[in-house]
Amino acid sequence: MSELFVVGISWRTAPVAVREKLAFREEEVADTLVALTRGQPVAEALLISTCNRVEVYGVAKPGADATGPVRDFLVQQRSIKLADIGDALYEHRGSAAVRHVFRVASSLDSLVVGEAQILGQLKAAYGVATTAGTSGALLGRCLERAFGVAKRVRSETLIARGSANVSSVAVDLAGRVFGDLAGKSILVVGAGKMSRLAAKHLYASGALRIVVTNRSPEKAEVLAREIDGVARPWAELEQLLAEADVVISSTGAREPILTKALFKRVAKARKWKPIMVIDIAVPRDAEPAIGELDGVYLFDIDDLDKVVAQNLAERAKAADHAGKIVEHEAGQFEQWIKTQGVVPTIRAMRSHFTKVADAEVAKALDQLARKDHSPAQQREVVQRVVQLVVNKLLHAPTAALRAGEDAELRAAVLCDLFGLDPDAVVSDRESQAAMDDTAERPEPRKVAT
Amino acid sequence: MSSTPERLLSVAPSPAFWIAGIAYAVATAALLGVLAGKASLRKYAIGIVVVAWLAHAADIGWRGTQHVHPAQSVREAIGLLGFILTSGYLLASLRYRLTLGGVVVMPVSLVLLLVARLSPAGDAPEDLSSLGRVHISLATLGVGIFALASALSAMYLVEERTLKKKKFDALAFKDKGTPLESLDRLAHRLIWVGFPIFTVALVLGAIWVSKLGLSLDRPEYPLAAVTWVAFAALLVVRQVYGWRGKRAAKLTLLGFGAALLVLAIYLVRRMGG
Repeated sequence: MSELFVVGISWRTAPVAVREKLAFREEEVADTLVALTRGQPVAEALLISTCNRVEVYGVAKPGADATGPVRDFLVQQRSIKLADIGDALYEHRGSAAVRHVFRVASSLDSLVVGEAQILGQLKAAYGVATTAGTSGALLGRCLERAFGVAKRVRSETLIARGSANVSSVAVDLAGRVFGDLAGKSILVVGAGKMSRLAAKHLYASGALRIVVTNRSPEKAEVLAREIDGVARPWAELEQLLAEADVVISSTGAREPILTKALFKRVAKARKWKPIMVIDIAVPRDAEPAIGELDGVYLFDIDDLDKVVAQNLAERAKAADHAGKIVEHEAGQFEQWIKTQGVVPTIRAMRSHFTKVADAEVAKALDQLARKDHSPAQQREVVQRVVQLVVNKLLHAPTAALRAGEDAELRAAVLCDLFGLDPDAVVSDRESQAAMDDTAERPEPRKVAT
Repeated sequence: MSSTPERLLSVAPSPAFWIAGIAYAVATAALLGVLAGKASLRKYAIGIVVVAWLAHAADIGWRGTQHVHPAQSVREAIGLLGFILTSGYLLASLRYRLTLGGVVVMPVSLVLLLVARLSPAGDAPEDLSSLGRVHISLATLGVGIFALASALSAMYLVEERTLKKKKFDALAFKDKGTPLESLDRLAHRLIWVGFPIFTVALVLGAIWVSKLGLSLDRPEYPLAAVTWVAFAALLVVRQVYGWRGKRAAKLTLLGFGAALLVLAIYLVRRMGG
């Protein structure tokens, strides 16, 4: 039976300086997969290459060991030596490989547990493999199931709850006040790098416009251009605050510029319409007292960090529960793989039984078509067909049961398969039928025609 | 006077009442579970609220078949009020995630239902005209809408405080909840709808009282006036001075508190005979 395997490198085993040596560009993946399945003992393959992992998920050709050749293939492709990546390459086979794929899809193996990006990357990698024709029944089924497990984990656990970085937390907090950011206006005070990131994040969440103001107008212009915003003079700060919904402040000022006195006037001018101030400057730009004013929501960098830490802790807790879901699903998938081994036998058995039954039914129908039969005769024909089918189907197993050396074992298996109880009382007729060797039985009497 | 009204008032609660009561309690527990982090309970919780709502409707309907009008007495009206609350909650849940709101509304609906069905029936009102029924119906509807607005205002105050005080580990913060602006806007819209209904109910009530020639020094009348004034003032200051958020939420709760007192006085008087 073919076996699933994983060969790869990730943030767990190697720093970026090592991972980048093995990374593949998007446009290289399809050709690499084709080369892998043609030149190596690999029947099916998928390659995922992200900033945190480079992994091959595959199915070995029957009876072959694929992991060694795949390791060699990867380093050859990147023109590096195996020694260059040391022990960073790992491999999983069989059930361990299934578990790994499920864990990766569910973001349990991610650097930031619960992040949603990996699922999209894995789906894209699966799409490339499917287009390249290197994904088959087993790998395809494994990936489809992995996507299902990931969905289950996200809906049944808190693994994806809460933002895991400061910019996302800022968006999340703004969402708690305004909900949808569509139509909202963002004011960036100062032109620091942090405010640029947060502003970009907020803008991407649907904000209507972004305004930048800075003591140095040149820097404001540069930042405004970079984040698709509008630069306004520093002198208009009070008016800009009155017009904004979210303020991101990160100036290099030594003293607070967003004072309580200023915000009292601003809040009144806004008619107490809510305003959120995200102060990511150190030293802080906003006096803490402005947070006491009606409709003013103030958060500093410590607040944002606190939320990030708390969310990550929640995710870690949820990861335990998610791990159990993955275990359960992986167990079920293994069960499915095992049943795939007996599918050909089941098919052959059904085909054989159908063939025997069809042949006898055809004969009987032919017989009945030749002339009219009384109801009693018709009943006899039907009974004979059933008897013949039963005899023919049981002939070979009965003979084998009697002739075999391990007759008792075979008998036990038969009892188990058909739910038989040999100790049960059977009628005389049935007992007799069981004793007779069907081969020695005369053909049932033919109905007179 | 015939004994019919007494018989009508003492109609025993239907099986649907017990189902609704249990469903309200279970829904509260399930919503608390969702708040505590059991996200998978959410769909069951909403399902149980639907069961409670259906059972509550069936109970009111069943009483109708026994000739008990939902607005024939304050006691019945309180049951209807609970039903209006649950209906409004379910409607709002279609658009917003109102876990915290459910934790507020479900127990209130449960208590209202229990009071309506299990409190002593008291004497039947001997002089309940159609004017009285219309007054009670409209007042119940108006107070029901104010109750919904108040539930949203209570949610607003809890969420606002959580955010202002930066209680990031509070249950109200963990559940993403409904944005403050939406809560504020929705409560305001509800008051706009409820206020005219309540005003008409008040006018009809005054006409009814004057027709009956009752004394005007009962305590519920000034309280009803306080309710009306509070909501009227709210609409004015909001419109003219742009009041919103915390101040508006507090004024909403004040108005609703007065309305609750009116109901309580009616109920106690009815029970007292």
